[in-house]
Amino acid sequence: MATAEIEVPREGLPSLADANRDISRPISTPYKRYWLLIGICLVLIAAAGIAWAIQIRDGMGRAGINNPVNWGVYIVTFVFWVGIAHSGTLISAVLYLVRSGWRTTINRTAEAMTIFAVMTAGLFPLIHLGRVWYFYYLVPYPSTRLLWPNFRSPLVWDMFAIGTYFTISLVFWYLGLIPDLAVLRDKFTGIRKKLYGAFSLGWTGSVRDWAHYRRLYLYLAGIATPLVLSVHSVVSWDFAMGIVPGWHSTIFAPYFVAGAIFSGIAMVITITIPLRWAFGLDRYITKYHFDNMSKLLLFTSLIVGYAYGMEYFLAWFSADPIEIESFRWRGTGFYAGPFWIMVFCNVVVPMSLWFKRTRHSLKALFVISVFVNIGMWYERFVIIVTSLAHEFDPSAWQVYTPSLTEITIMVGSFAWFFFWFLLFAKTLPVISIAEVKEHLAHEHEHGGHS
Amino acid sequence: MSGILAQFDTLGATKKAIERLMADGHSDLDVYSPFPAPELEEAMGIVASPVRRWALIGGITGFSTATALTGLTAVAYPLVTQGKPILSWPAYFIIMFEMTILFTGLFGFLGVLHHTRKPGRLSAQYRTNFSVDRFGVYVPSAAGAEQSGVEALVRDAGAVEVEVGV
Repeated sequence: MATAEIEVPREGLPSLADANRDISRPISTPYKRYWLLIGICLVLIAAAGIAWAIQIRDGMGRAGINNPVNWGVYIVTFVFWVGIAHSGTLISAVLYLVRSGWRTTINRTAEAMTIFAVMTAGLFPLIHLGRVWYFYYLVPYPSTRLLWPNFRSPLVWDMFAIGTYFTISLVFWYLGLIPDLAVLRDKFTGIRKKLYGAFSLGWTGSVRDWAHYRRLYLYLAGIATPLVLSVHSVVSWDFAMGIVPGWHSTIFAPYFVAGAIFSGIAMVITITIPLRWAFGLDRYITKYHFDNMSKLLLFTSLIVGYAYGMEYFLAWFSADPIEIESFRWRGTGFYAGPFWIMVFCNVVVPMSLWFKRTRHSLKALFVISVFVNIGMWYERFVIIVTSLAHEFDPSAWQVYTPSLTEITIMVGSFAWFFFWFLLFAKTLPVISIAEVKEHLAHEHEHGGHS
Repeated sequence: MSGILAQFDTLGATKKAIERLMADGHSDLDVYSPFPAPELEEAMGIVASPVRRWALIGGITGFSTATALTGLTAVAYPLVTQGKPILSWPAYFIIMFEMTILFTGLFGFLGVLHHTRKPGRLSAQYRTNFSVDRFGVYVPSAAGAEQSGVEALVRDAGAVEVEVGV
């Protein structure tokens, strides 16, 4: 699909030693700018921490949620971050299984994003719980009262799905990192050598070891693929299993999975464009990669747009007056603003990606990806809040507006995510060195030089 | 020590050297590569890794653990909730599915650690440029006349550096 001019120019093909040097170069003493970014993140995290502490002290009244809208910004942001977590596994596992070579230079970043996004998402059920110290009620442990979790509850499914997803993503990411940690162990001296050495577990690159490694990598890709589909399906069932109009729909699982991939790819683009610029990785993350990512973004945008339309069609086709009213109000009622922001950001803006010029302009891509991130947050807001605010009984209709506590914690979650990402970017290779070398070695040997 | 360590800078030359050494009866080679190279595994005659058994056992363990956890706890405290049967298998299947995947991944990882003997120390014949761009072929315990034969063979195959007595 890629045209010749956006392929890696062959004469500029880096050597294997170049790959080591270029990719591990950013792992050095950071500049002031980096500390400034870390500082901003820490301030925002501290603000969110204070907001949470106040909420714990005063109770859930600090959040704007009410009855009937008892799921607000916390659950919206939870679903948003779980969604962001999806592209990492998609890029690493699904594209690995279908042998898509273009994943090579972006999979590490996407996997790291997955892990940090799950770490961020995981905080929100705890924050939403109010009395956070009761979180262990979800965990199946033998108690003298013979109390066990209700395994029929989507919230318990959620804990198992997200717990598994986090663990498997971490194993997948770490397995991929082991050979690269060995590269860093051999490059550095002193304490760094010791640390990278300990985490590389004594990796030597023995071909016998690679055989076991490759086998597990394939299996992890194989099991992560159904896992990634299950996780956001389970998240969607948190809603779809309820009888709330606007939620109780069989399309929710594929609708959420497509939305998750859509938002995840957008976040990968939002992050890799500045990362590529800051670390000078132009020779590795090329326009070819961005072109492919934008096509994926366009494709998932079409699925998401189709799902929006289909929700309305199903509401009309059901001939259920409550369902019809719920969807009429969604587009024209109190929350018409968020609804149309969602449609504009997720359906209208990505249509510009039909044009090659847009796909090849990194500035345009960056702006589009930010729009999609905003749009996908609003999508979750629209699904969750508008459905709850306008249920069956008109006397129970009530609107909800987020409180300052909720907004502070939501903003803090972005800072928390980027804080971990910044730490990652300066301590670990943001591109898989071993995989890039595999690709380069074959280019050098079989591709020849022009 | 009487081993020979040859370094190569291309995949093709490494593969050629392995094939010739294997044909000469050196089946106990240690080969190092900076990236995963199925070609070299094939040349060394490495068959499918036993990690697959670990993964299978993990999957079965996860599935049975989840079946027992959901089923037995429901029977131990038979309280009807949500108007559903005490043993609501379709709902429990989600837990079984997730735990099958969890245990497959974790057991597989333990399998890799076990078979690669990690964490461990670096072997004496490891050179730091094996993590840069060099391939290493180590022929252990070659003695006397055989040693010079092996040395000639690896040089002929395109070795860029040969160490004797490693």
